[in-house]
Amino acid sequence: MPEPIYLDHAATTPVRAEVLEAMLPFYGPKFGNPSSVHRWGRDARTALDEARERVARCIGATADEICFTSGGTEADNIAILGTWRARRTEGRRGIVTTPIEHKAVLEAVHHAAHEGADERICRMTKEGVVDTDSFRDALGTDASIASVMWINNEIGTIQPIAELAAASKAAGALFHTDAVQAFGKVAIDSRAVPFDVLSISGHKIGAPKGIGAVFIRRGTIIEPLFHGGAQDRGRRPGTENVASVIGFALAAELAVAEREEEWTKLEAMRTKLEEAILARIPDAVIHGRGAAHRAPHIVNVSVPGVDSESMLMALDLRGIGCSAGSACQSGSVSPSHVLDAIGVSPDLAGSAIRMSIGALTTDAAIQRVSEVFPALVDKARGVARVS
Amino acid sequence: MSGGVDSSVAAAMLVEQGYDVVGATMKLFCHDDDLPDRPCCSLDSVNDARRVCQSLGVPHYVLNLESAFGRDVVENFVNEYASGRTPIPCVRCNTFTKFRDLVVKADGIDAKWIATGHYARTIDSELHRGVDHSKDQSYFLWGIDRAVLSRMLLPVGSQTKAETRAVAHKLGLEVIAEKPESQDICFVPDGDHTKIIRQRLGADAPSLAEGPFVLSNGAHVGTHGGFARFTIGQRRGLPGGFREPMFVVAIRPDDRAVVIGPREELLGRGVVARSVNWLVDAPGVGDRISLQVRHRAPAAAAEIIRLAGDEIELALDEPVAAITPGQSLVMYDGERVLGGGLIERARGTRALPVRAA
Repeated sequence: MPEPIYLDHAATTPVRAEVLEAMLPFYGPKFGNPSSVHRWGRDARTALDEARERVARCIGATADEICFTSGGTEADNIAILGTWRARRTEGRRGIVTTPIEHKAVLEAVHHAAHEGADERICRMTKEGVVDTDSFRDALGTDASIASVMWINNEIGTIQPIAELAAASKAAGALFHTDAVQAFGKVAIDSRAVPFDVLSISGHKIGAPKGIGAVFIRRGTIIEPLFHGGAQDRGRRPGTENVASVIGFALAAELAVAEREEEWTKLEAMRTKLEEAILARIPDAVIHGRGAAHRAPHIVNVSVPGVDSESMLMALDLRGIGCSAGSACQSGSVSPSHVLDAIGVSPDLAGSAIRMSIGALTTDAAIQRVSEVFPALVDKARGVARVS
Repeated sequence: MSGGVDSSVAAAMLVEQGYDVVGATMKLFCHDDDLPDRPCCSLDSVNDARRVCQSLGVPHYVLNLESAFGRDVVENFVNEYASGRTPIPCVRCNTFTKFRDLVVKADGIDAKWIATGHYARTIDSELHRGVDHSKDQSYFLWGIDRAVLSRMLLPVGSQTKAETRAVAHKLGLEVIAEKPESQDICFVPDGDHTKIIRQRLGADAPSLAEGPFVLSNGAHVGTHGGFARFTIGQRRGLPGGFREPMFVVAIRPDDRAVVIGPREELLGRGVVARSVNWLVDAPGVGDRISLQVRHRAPAAAAEIIRLAGDEIELALDEPVAAITPGQSLVMYDGERVLGGGLIERARGTRALPVRAA
């Protein structure tokens, strides 16, 4: 088999070599607990504080606004439940979000609804962008929090975060954005865009799994989800994951430094891949392609009559790793709630394949996928599917 | 691959024989109420199957066939009980899920063969009983499309269960080698099938409502808590106080009655089945075959006395007990499976052949 091709960078990325190297001392000589008073503790603590400042700088924030988490899911949970619980006595009951959010947000909002919140899911356009009128309506006058992801992880559409954050602010609601896919792709500056809370994750940008951060704007009160320590100003008790934080800080800096160049490179490859697919499969549908602003690294394509589960297997058996919908615990493919929310028919959604390009993607890989994918489609169309 | 010993060993044997194996586990129902100690179909089992494949160096996929399985198997299961019959979901799963839907998935990746851990054999594109008669699963396979037989590989069907476990140890598949047998229906993990009927049809479903116990002479002898709790031949849960042991001999959904009677009333001398499927060229009226009306029942000699469309009627040489509507009638010629059908009803008297005019 030729060299395998990893086309699932939106799921996770390999740890960058320089990131791993930067982390290693913190598993070895600098192993200390940052809360300890001795030299080992100080070594870890200073590195941790410095890393916090470095991550803060990447999004135009100050160090006290950065709270490290175990990843995007925890960051989203702190963002939704932490703010909801802190504000629920103020008489604001609404939590506004979209139907295309990551489950970490949707389930957290749903959980808040069990605690008395009024869950308000706004409408999407068929291009995969939030309907801003619907968003404003949902805010009303008593929304507590609004949460909209910056870049959608399945279809890559970019949401008008500046506009939505401003609308939320005007309505007296806090605004959270899940920027897990956006970080390193779009410029994020907390001084320019009035979001109050923002989630980012390490393993999407070449840092390890199990590290992320939540930006909490100064003055925003959150109720911690964990209890039992003063770490991170009490917002996130527990001994800090120092080595991963160090790795995350470096990966974040690299992502910001390389952002524009990376965008240009990824966009060129994505365009080439899409054009090749559409040229060979004229009835292929690329979801979110009609949006005004799209991420450069995600291609979500449906080919009518082709079963995505079988296609994923066929691609994998040829060494090409992609995904479909959102993978559930068992590893099987479930229908995508995102495609459903933007009005894609179940049939078409059932044939969706997400290819996400990134650090491991080469021009040669794009070339090969451009040949293999249409060939598999031709073959699959000769075969029935399970209805 | 269920994550159990049979399918794991089947995969391992094929890898040893040089096949290019792709492992697949079908996700057939929701794992929300996951029970950790289940031998089959739980999330842990998926993980076991994946680990076995990883150790064999072959890919493994989890295929989501939940909606098709819900429609073809679970829905039918519930409806059959609601009609006073006793279904075998494994038969429909083999017919529609494993050897139809999964074959479509196999086609999607150009897989020529479809292999399972069933104790049965294919010989010259015909289905035979498994070598280990105590494990023989050919009874559950009568419904599959005959054309699929030539693509089936059933590696463990040619050995005993003990041999299968020995192979598992020999190949180092310790994760699964001594897993307990799965006994229950996979989507009825605690053995209480009324739960899923209640879920699907509501707590007020007639099949779960009180009804009369009656004798075949019509005498009312008690009240039961829903006829879906009963099957033909059942003794448990019946009113007492009779001279002879009593059995369920009929279920009448129309008046929700469960008819009970002595063993004599349980005997059938003929059987009618529908939805007949042949795995060989169809035999004719007057042909003699052996048949089984339930899993693990001894084979009984019979003669085909009527064939009309997908219906068949057979006359039994000796009476057979507890011929149960909804169960499978499977016809054999020795080890060879001829075909089968769904039991529609038993006949108390031995009828004569009806030859085509």
